Amino acid sequence: MGAGWLESVSNWMDFAIARMPELWFRTGQHLILTGVSTGLAIAIGLPLGILASTKQWLRATVLGAIGIFQTVPSLAMLAILLTLVGKIGAVPAIIALTIYALLPIVRNTVTGIEGVPPEVVEAARGIGMTRRQRLRMVQLPLAMPVMIAGIRTAAVVGVGVATLSAFIGAGGLGQFINRGLALSNTQLILLGAIPAALLAVLVDGVIAATAWGMEPVRQREKHSLGARLKPFALAMPVLLVALGVYAAFGSHQAAANHSGKTVRISSKNFTEQLILGELMSQMIEAHTDLAVDRRFNLGGTMICHEALAAGEIDLYAEYTGTGLVTVLKRPVDSDAERVFKKVRTDYKKQFNLEWLEPFGFNNTYALTIRKSDARARGWRTISDLATSADTLRAGFTAEFSERADGYPGVRKAYGFGFAEVRDLEPSLMYQAVAKGEVDVICAFTTDGRIAAYDLQPLADDRGFFPPYFAAPVIRLDFLRTHPDVRDVLVKLAGVLDDTTMQSLNFEVDEKGRNPEDVVRDFLREQGFLTLNLKE
Amino acid sequence: MIVLDGVSKTFDDGQSYAVHELSLQVNEGETLVLLGSSGCGKTTTLKMINRLIEPTSGMIQVDGRDVTKQDPVALRRTIGYVFQGIGLFSHYRVLQNVEIVPKLVGWPANNRRTRAREILDLVGLPPDEFSGRFPDELSGGQQQRVGVARALAADPKYLLMDEPFGALDAITRDSLQQELKSLSKRLGKTTVFVTHDIFEALTLADRIAVLHEGRLQQVDTPKRVLSDPATPFVHELFEKPTQQLAAFQGGD
Repeated sequence: MGAGWLESVSNWMDFAIARMPELWFRTGQHLILTGVSTGLAIAIGLPLGILASTKQWLRATVLGAIGIFQTVPSLAMLAILLTLVGKIGAVPAIIALTIYALLPIVRNTVTGIEGVPPEVVEAARGIGMTRRQRLRMVQLPLAMPVMIAGIRTAAVVGVGVATLSAFIGAGGLGQFINRGLALSNTQLILLGAIPAALLAVLVDGVIAATAWGMEPVRQREKHSLGARLKPFALAMPVLLVALGVYAAFGSHQAAANHSGKTVRISSKNFTEQLILGELMSQMIEAHTDLAVDRRFNLGGTMICHEALAAGEIDLYAEYTGTGLVTVLKRPVDSDAERVFKKVRTDYKKQFNLEWLEPFGFNNTYALTIRKSDARARGWRTISDLATSADTLRAGFTAEFSERADGYPGVRKAYGFGFAEVRDLEPSLMYQAVAKGEVDVICAFTTDGRIAAYDLQPLADDRGFFPPYFAAPVIRLDFLRTHPDVRDVLVKLAGVLDDTTMQSLNFEVDEKGRNPEDVVRDFLREQGFLTLNLKE
Repeated sequence: MIVLDGVSKTFDDGQSYAVHELSLQVNEGETLVLLGSSGCGKTTTLKMINRLIEPTSGMIQVDGRDVTKQDPVALRRTIGYVFQGIGLFSHYRVLQNVEIVPKLVGWPANNRRTRAREILDLVGLPPDEFSGRFPDELSGGQQQRVGVARALAADPKYLLMDEPFGALDAITRDSLQQELKSLSKRLGKTTVFVTHDIFEALTLADRIAVLHEGRLQQVDTPKRVLSDPATPFVHELFEKPTQQLAAFQGGD
């Protein structure tokens, strides 16, 4: 047993070492996200805290307002900022992180200033200090330890929250966690989580050391080792910042944006999307002279769509049904041809975006149960569940629970709902039903795990679920300047049927292979990587 | 010279008075002790002189000028103040604490350094040994010496002292009282000293002003206050301790 444990640790170490260049780069990004936002929060929070400490009513107002920001869940905050800023990437992430960092900094500034003994403040007044001098020479220095404690809290929390900024394409160590969740790959999740935890400890330690280094040396310890180490403690934050900047901007990854001619391709955060993103990227890399800037793993449909509409990215793969219902907010429709025509026309009109030819497969939702239940109870269709639904527990993705073409629509179309509905990560859903933690999930019909976990999709006997044919969605402005991209992507039309997509998903989800490798093998098999399409 | 003329202070809109119709004069170079039990208004009186507290009515003059017509910050910088408790800045070293007022009024760094070292010497703290220490590296008596040094650093004409030795043990207090007495004679400062300790008052005062419930009972030399108490309160105040002292000496 012990040896097995050791082996998995050493396996993981090998895995991590193989990804050292990217780990290094992501750590740098993470440090910069945290560092810039904490720095901004200090720049805003200290004056705000000082101001708030002068008047009782100001204090209540300021702390109240910041407290409210704090209660906004981090993913919601990121989504809101994305809409407000109209950009993906570091800017909205840094704004969100700054907002979260404000509370501990402002609160501790106020607490610190108020904690200065009143007799000391009176002494300062009594010897003839002005209000400003009292603040600068007495109150702030004496409040400093409490203020620094606030900055430490803010920075450590910031390192944690910054892992979420990968959802909106800001990079950082969250990128590994995100990708790991999408691919059900624990090693990848740990590759983000462990360095993030270590980074939090490091950042906390560096700030603590800096604070200690700033404390003046006492007479009796003048010649001690500690006194001699203090200048080095002060150098630590400088080193940390230099490290972050070097890792994020100095390494080769940052040079990916070569020669200016780039196509920015995104994906949502699940396996199939990563495969499609990779598929389009490798085709474009192989058959045009464009470089690909991969901005994968964005946290959901609306984030991808907003980014595309705002011109932050050029291309990603969307599903016709999702485009119709989630983006265009049209009623559910089960006619595949009609849906495709509709999204194509309306996207062009409303967003100046173009739907290219679909890849071929239809990844629709299927309410899915364990095969054993299907056999034992004779369930074949969704309607078969009606009589037992009030005893069944469902596990759905958050998106499915909310979407009109998801659970709410199912209830309406079939006239029943389940006893209990739990929100589950897409990657955890299949395991959860296989282990009997839930009874019904909203599987995707192209997911390789349906077969792998011995599950049974139920027939949609009322024809409720709209068609979800995946297709590249691309900015028209981009197509106009890069017509060759259309020619390349059109080659992919119809090459992936349901079974092919299932098997590609299976390769990644169950065999733990990289999407890049799976896609490369597939494209070679299909002859796309040796043919030169430009001639 | 400090003059108080009909000075009153109320903290509750006239329902009660911390200081009531107080008129008093502190002459050039003398040490006037404000004596009374806690709550008698002596600290309030002291704080009104440098405008830490504003009087409700009446007039206070320092050097012939109405204090309410002066900038309080500038006024305070010309009056040394030694605080009850300690009131030292714990994040400053001894030397920085002492040179703070000269610094506030803009002395050049060299001058105020030299001056701070001089004053430290004067209050019995050899600067070579003490100037680099922090207040928490000093005993209570040493801390209060720094407090006195800080008040004297900018060479103010006036000195306000608010029970500066109240928290010290009896022996330390006694030696500090003696030193302060000779120091103030030598420096010729005009000093207002607040205490509730009768023996401290008798030791230090050129004149004692006895306060009770915000009202001035008597102001006179220690001898006259003892021999000629103006009110029953003053009589009682001194009677008991002197009897005790007499009994103690008699039993020797």
